Amino acid sequence: MLSLWLPRFATDRIRRLRETRVPDAMQRDAQRNDASQIRDPASGSRVGSAPLRAALRPANEMVVVAGRRGNADVLIAVDETAERLGLTPGLALAQARAMHPSLDVVPEDAGADAELLESIADWCLRYTPLIACDAPDGLLLDISGCAHLYGGEHQLVADLGRRLTQAGFAYRIAIAGTIGAAWAAARDGRPDAYANGEERDILCPLPLGALRLPPPMVASLARVGLKCIGDIIDLPRSPLTARFGIDLLRQLDRALGREHEPLTPRLPVAPYVAEKRFHDPIAREEDVLGTVELLAVQLAAALERRGDGARRIELTLFRTDGALRRIAAGTARPLRDPADMRALFAERLNALADELDPGFGFDMARLSVLTAEPAPPEQIGIGAAEDAGELVRLVDRLSARLGAQRVRRAVAQDSHIPEVASVSLPAQATGTDDGWAAFHRYRAEVDLAPRPLRLLARPEPIEAVAEVPDGPPLRFKWRRALHDVVVAEGPERIEGVWWQEENVEASPAGNRARDYFRVEDKGGHRFWLFRAGLYRDLTRADIAQGAIAAPAWFVHGMFG
Amino acid sequence: MLDELRQHLARLQKPAGLADGPAVLPLGVPAVDGVLGGGLARGALHEIAALSEAHLPAATGFALGLAALPGEGQIESTGNAPSPTRRRFASAGDFSPHAGRGEGRRFVLWISEEMALNESGAPHGAGLDAFGLSPQRLLTVAVAHRQDLMWTMEEALRCRAVGAVIGEVRHGALDPVAVRRLSLAAGDSGALAFLLRTQPSHDASTAATRWTVGSAPSATQQRHELGAPRFAVHLTRNRRGPAASWILEWRPTDERFILAAHAEPVAAPLRHRSHQKVA
Repeated sequence: MLSLWLPRFATDRIRRLRETRVPDAMQRDAQRNDASQIRDPASGSRVGSAPLRAALRPANEMVVVAGRRGNADVLIAVDETAERLGLTPGLALAQARAMHPSLDVVPEDAGADAELLESIADWCLRYTPLIACDAPDGLLLDISGCAHLYGGEHQLVADLGRRLTQAGFAYRIAIAGTIGAAWAAARDGRPDAYANGEERDILCPLPLGALRLPPPMVASLARVGLKCIGDIIDLPRSPLTARFGIDLLRQLDRALGREHEPLTPRLPVAPYVAEKRFHDPIAREEDVLGTVELLAVQLAAALERRGDGARRIELTLFRTDGALRRIAAGTARPLRDPADMRALFAERLNALADELDPGFGFDMARLSVLTAEPAPPEQIGIGAAEDAGELVRLVDRLSARLGAQRVRRAVAQDSHIPEVASVSLPAQATGTDDGWAAFHRYRAEVDLAPRPLRLLARPEPIEAVAEVPDGPPLRFKWRRALHDVVVAEGPERIEGVWWQEENVEASPAGNRARDYFRVEDKGGHRFWLFRAGLYRDLTRADIAQGAIAAPAWFVHGMFG
Repeated sequence: MLDELRQHLARLQKPAGLADGPAVLPLGVPAVDGVLGGGLARGALHEIAALSEAHLPAATGFALGLAALPGEGQIESTGNAPSPTRRRFASAGDFSPHAGRGEGRRFVLWISEEMALNESGAPHGAGLDAFGLSPQRLLTVAVAHRQDLMWTMEEALRCRAVGAVIGEVRHGALDPVAVRRLSLAAGDSGALAFLLRTQPSHDASTAATRWTVGSAPSATQQRHELGAPRFAVHLTRNRRGPAASWILEWRPTDERFILAAHAEPVAAPLRHRSHQKVA
């Protein structure tokens, strides 16, 4: 377990912000500085962005963050310069101003802090998929089984530290067997502590606050003379519990590994992951696709062993400057073939509105299967099965390029409302049972009248004249064209869903019963019309009171 | 050497959709098949335009009817056109024992611009089922732009499982290059490509046939029963024969067209002027 603590998180964030908005004069200075350093490599200073920026920073500029705690304005975070001047977090703002009248105070922005922490956590995905945010200013990384990829824990910490320094963050890192011990060591122990099996030795000299206890409890423990973890570690348990509650010993047990404390990762962990680091960053699209195929081969082997196929795949590209690019693609059927996965991402990359924007290149790529489903071993056949496979590939390609919502299949549902009975759903989401077998049985059973070839998204109101109130229309006007009805078949009565709330937005006809007619006009155009509402439900009084709307006519579809 | 090059050149210049000994899809109506030279050419682009926007449902029905023709499952030579029942039997033989109805056949893609679906209604599953085209065979794609439509059509034509691709195009001229690409893609695949348009267009095109379709009154004796749908079909451009007009009736139960018995053409047949713009 690795605990990362950014002790100057809030002030480092503001400093980073300010540095990206360097005034012109300073930028020129920076360039000149840069040039001189290149000309004079023997100057002794490291050529790197972080030290350079540090050198540029005026010595007297300090960052102080203040916010409201209870009823008072207090300092929340201070940077090193400010701390040297005697300012500490928790100091009243008024007092701080009295000490340093020219103090530049930045208001607290917890939202931006949390956002930045999330993005650092994202970036740390390069080390391990198991990451939890340890708000407000820390992260927990489960690096079990990951450290050897970097050549050991020390190398991993060195790498992480180097990148954090470059990004302009102060940090403390500790590694221990438990979350509690790592947390405590990162905050209060010596820097870069590694406790492998000696959690007890590390914890003993640390103050009790390092056990993640509420401050009032720490204060009351201090009143009885218990200040270090070592003070309580061997005390009899029952009096401690009786006096200070169960939490104290639970935290101690967790830190010592007597009780298991699970890490709750902020992102669901993908069941299958394959990744590749590059010595030289890659930038070209072909290289990215080549990498996808390379990783897909690894994934395919793992998927096949467990008899799974991928339904949703995500490609994560880590840019050298810490930015992250995530591209996900879905599939219609469980997928294992590496070439298919490559084709899928080729379409996704093509469809990206903005360019891939590799910046200075990607130095790591990870392909993870977010959702896997059991897939029977592939059957190599001829005819129907192969055709279906081809179609699935087409569906995946189209969905990847155009969006899954745009590629649809018709699915029959168990309903008597026409617009619900047959709906079109994203082809990738529909399962093998599309309901048409049941629909055919139902159609044969009730001798269902034909449905229109094209159905309007919403029934459109028309002006219609009928011979008798309950009869078919004689003529009607739709979209400013008058149609004389020659033949009319019907009615087919479809009761409304009176048990549901009326939703005028979805259907202007409401939930009233509908009488459907198939009509043909003089020119041979065929329409599917209906009258919403029945005259038999109506009395003169109802209309007068406006309690029930008068029946109205709608056109719902067209026949070929 | 020179001859070789000439032959090579001839192969390159061969008009799209007119492959050597092209496979055709017989409509099962002798009059129509005769004019078309055996039937609708596979591996070619066909343009079907509605007489006017009001006739779009009829044009839709005609296009879907062509896509639903039972001969659609297989590539067959024209030599001796088998009877519809035999053809059906032959295609039924392609089914694997486990595949349900419609699965063994090739799929139909319906691609249209999103706006067209909102304006003229989207293909309705239950309606397709009643019309004779199993909804399991149909995939609809709603695209945002004309370019996406053309790309999707080309992509779909490349897929071996797809037998027919219908692209619905609303107003506006088409990019001739894109249309030519479609013709070539269709020629490579052997599938049927249809461009469904809301209005007849007069721009030059590489389509093998061009049709204008309107609705025609159905034959019915009673005021309370609709007959089978009828289409007034004008073949306005035909690379393999003369232009002609018919009234065709779609038989949903048999899944085929018949020549309407007592039909009178609603408009005089247009003369064949394939080298000119069609008036």
